[in-house]
Amino acid sequence: MKLLLRKTTFRLLTLLPMLFLSFGVLAQSDPTGKSPATRTYAITNATIVQAPGKVIEGATIIFNNGLISSVGANTTIPDNAEVIDGTDLFIYPGFIDGMSYTGADRPEQMKRPEGLFTPNPPNDYAGITPELQVTQQLKVDEKSIDAMRKAGFTISHSVPYGRMLPGSGSIITLKDATHPDELILSEDVSMYTQFVGAPGAYPGNTLGIMAKWRDLYRNAEYSKQHFEMYASNPAGMERPTRDRTLEAFFPVVSKQKPVFYNASSSLEARRAIRLQKELGFNLVLGNLKEGWDLSSAIKESNAKVFLSLDLPKEPKASKDKKKTDEVKQLEERRLEFYKKYLNQFSDMEKAGIKYGISTMETSGSKIKDNFLTLLENGLSEDALLASLTINAAQLLGIDNIAGTLESGKLANAVITNGPIFDKKSQIKYVFVDGDKYEYDLKEKKAANGSKTNATGINAIVGTWEYTVSSPQGVETGTMTITNENGELAGTLSGMQGGPDNDLNNLTFLDGSLSFDFSFDGGGQSIEIVVVGTVTDNEFDAEASVAAFNISFPFTATKDEAK
Amino acid sequence: MKGLNMNKISLITVLFLLVATVTQAQVKKGDVLIKNGTLLTITNGTLENTDILVQNGKISKIGKNIKAPKGVDVIDATGQFVMPGIIDAHSHIAGTSINEGTSQVTAEVSMEDVVNPFDVSIYRALAGGVTTINLMHGSANVIGGRNETLKLRYGTTNPDDLRFEDAPRTIKFALGENPTRGGRSRGIQPQSRMGVEAMLRNSFSEALVYKKAWDDYRSDKSKRKVTPKYSLRMETLVDILEGKILVHCHSYRADEIYMLMKVFSDFGIKKLTFQHANEAYKVAPELAAFGASASVFADWWAYKLEVYYSTAYNAAILTKNGVTTSINSDSGELIRHLFHEAAKTQKYGNLSDSEALALITLNPAKQLGIDDRVGSLEKGKDADITIFDKHPLSTYAIPQMTFVDGVKYFDKATDAKDQRIFVNPESSIDVVQIFDREEQHQCMQDAEMVDFNVLFNNK
Repeated sequence: MKLLLRKTTFRLLTLLPMLFLSFGVLAQSDPTGKSPATRTYAITNATIVQAPGKVIEGATIIFNNGLISSVGANTTIPDNAEVIDGTDLFIYPGFIDGMSYTGADRPEQMKRPEGLFTPNPPNDYAGITPELQVTQQLKVDEKSIDAMRKAGFTISHSVPYGRMLPGSGSIITLKDATHPDELILSEDVSMYTQFVGAPGAYPGNTLGIMAKWRDLYRNAEYSKQHFEMYASNPAGMERPTRDRTLEAFFPVVSKQKPVFYNASSSLEARRAIRLQKELGFNLVLGNLKEGWDLSSAIKESNAKVFLSLDLPKEPKASKDKKKTDEVKQLEERRLEFYKKYLNQFSDMEKAGIKYGISTMETSGSKIKDNFLTLLENGLSEDALLASLTINAAQLLGIDNIAGTLESGKLANAVITNGPIFDKKSQIKYVFVDGDKYEYDLKEKKAANGSKTNATGINAIVGTWEYTVSSPQGVETGTMTITNENGELAGTLSGMQGGPDNDLNNLTFLDGSLSFDFSFDGGGQSIEIVVVGTVTDNEFDAEASVAAFNISFPFTATKDEAK
Repeated sequence: MKGLNMNKISLITVLFLLVATVTQAQVKKGDVLIKNGTLLTITNGTLENTDILVQNGKISKIGKNIKAPKGVDVIDATGQFVMPGIIDAHSHIAGTSINEGTSQVTAEVSMEDVVNPFDVSIYRALAGGVTTINLMHGSANVIGGRNETLKLRYGTTNPDDLRFEDAPRTIKFALGENPTRGGRSRGIQPQSRMGVEAMLRNSFSEALVYKKAWDDYRSDKSKRKVTPKYSLRMETLVDILEGKILVHCHSYRADEIYMLMKVFSDFGIKKLTFQHANEAYKVAPELAAFGASASVFADWWAYKLEVYYSTAYNAAILTKNGVTTSINSDSGELIRHLFHEAAKTQKYGNLSDSEALALITLNPAKQLGIDDRVGSLEKGKDADITIFDKHPLSTYAIPQMTFVDGVKYFDKATDAKDQRIFVNPESSIDVVQIFDREEQHQCMQDAEMVDFNVLFNNK
């Protein structure tokens, strides 16, 4: 650049700002050469699922400038369209996430202030900040945006990190952007709240949180009345005191804004319903994991529901042949409750409760597996698709612009190389807001002859040298997998100088190897899930941490000398 | 046309009644006839070979040769002892949280928000003949939270089903070492017993100011009046001053017990029960004069300095001085044999059978303000009943069946091993191995040993 400037004349100098200006207008990422030539796409001859149960075969869908401009068998393809041959492709409405932290960057923990042992510690430490918004935490390069998009999600009702009342949620599109504002579809749409107390300060646990909620709400009601009276005629009236925390409650009190309660357990859901019954706000139960006994309570309260996609791990029965009847009974009971977590989806459908899905605490790499698990347990494909698309759109009040593939709606779609809930199908494209994201299909390597897709268990038994490129840096070590009478076991040499980790849920099928392991991250057990393919001596995988919603590459090479 | 309208109206009425019964009938009520037992009524002595009929959850008849109405189960209690369900006035089972200990006055919090119907301790308590507990807030702060009176209707997943309907509200206070320990470690008030008293007086004085502000507001006729600041904490304190909430105060020493009675006299608060109250025997006449009650341990003390000056005669001395006294558990283990605890007052104090049993039935019911509903076997009272194979004050007594509202929640004969109503699917199964000391130790090997079962089987 310096060199260029030295050689250029005054004319070029005047041209430069103009060049920058035009970049700004046309595309953001031109210097990388990645900006699309057109924002018009035509996907032809595809199977298009416009909505659950509404399928058109051999049809074309056209996206133009972020919107669906036409869907059907007889469409005219615009001249400027990038045409994608949709033969063998299946197109679905983009998934909508009812409640998640997607796009939000967890802020640094606030330092512990002095003098906390009072009934009213500072609101920001106590976690009472309903006046904040998730938009203040949004980061365009937040890994969760990419991770969730890769799993088919195009829109998320995202909520901020925090404690009791972290702030308001916004509906965002999961696209690449240069500024967080570009992500926002609908701002400040909900009041997010959860049962998270302040460490060592009031409210410290559920007891204080429930009481504080009532106290804040009642005070907001009185304050709102005062403001309204004052606004109509201030003369001779004591001036209402401004209080941003209480004022954030005003639209909740007037039922213009719903309360999204993070209520994962059945008791938390009951408590949220109890508050709603007493105070009268509009309630949405988000991240609900244990809803099987709650159908009537939910119906009575008129609460909306977003069920959690974070399913419990399938309990594995002990293979000890000498196990007692008591152990067998205990295992059966554990399985009985595992099934309750899975069956509640179809049970709720039968009870006539329309629900959406929340991916909070769910790793992107587990989403497809969890779909399959739910489908194996009585949920219909249409019901699952509805919960991910149209139902979620209706519950969030955005069904006029999203939730189905209809002309005039946002160009949000998931495109797969087979029926979406087919075990073997993969996502080929995701369209968000008219932008195309293309994904490499993981082809079976067996087809190309020279390299063989590993199949037999012996293909993975042995010692491997692994490399992990985590945000903390690159780590290498040894992974050992053993086979004892058909049972796979494995260990991973310590990361960051820690002790060895046992590999759990080690499975190897059709060349696909997956396992998970946990390590102690400063008092908190952190689970890492590794899923990938084994080709000859190479293991190419992705490691993901659900707790932080991030994923990174994990590769390993088998040590043949051993 | 008229007829049609009438039909419509009656249909609506029927529908309305149906809805009303559906919402009312959330809690199961049972019918049962318990025949020919020895009834320990508490209020009317011992009735031998007597029947007790329960209809719709209430005791409808007590007498001889009662015939079972159609469809009502009959239980033959010949040779068995039938008593009112045991009431524990101090318990911390069935709660997901116990203390909001982050500040010294938290009158606004309530245990009703943290009732845990999944706690298997509820079933264990039923197996010890207990039918009602006072789920208490902890003793970390001077004015803790409100307690919740529960009926042990185990099996429901809805915490509201456990609530003792219409029981008066009660609240936890705490004196002495627990709140002052917190104060000293955090460098805040109270650091001494003097600080505790000051905090109590300050809190009630503040509540009076609050009450006046709201009274003034309510009597203000202006349409443009502005509400004073609302505080759930102050609302609760005002309710205490107005006698709408019964106070249960954690205490040990006579001086602090006497202090609280003085404070309450000054503020005109009358409904007061001292919990633990190990030195209450020293101020028994004063307690009787005030009308305060005491809920004590049978013989548990010396676990911290303020609990040294204690006696197993405490309950008996208080009873003989006319103080309404109960014996509580404060423990998920002790709650299973409160009848043993009551029996100790016969060794230490010679209380009569009725006096001893009242310590775990009628007296705690009085302390919780529910004695019109439970605590004795009387016609019209709730059918919360326990059946023992032997007299419950005998060391050999074992509870056989426990009923709440006439519904059997425990039956020793059909007691299944796994009583959990929630199982975490991700939990591990621990195989418990009972350590067999006999096998490990060789010092008595081959020596003659008395068989444990022979020794304790009473045969």
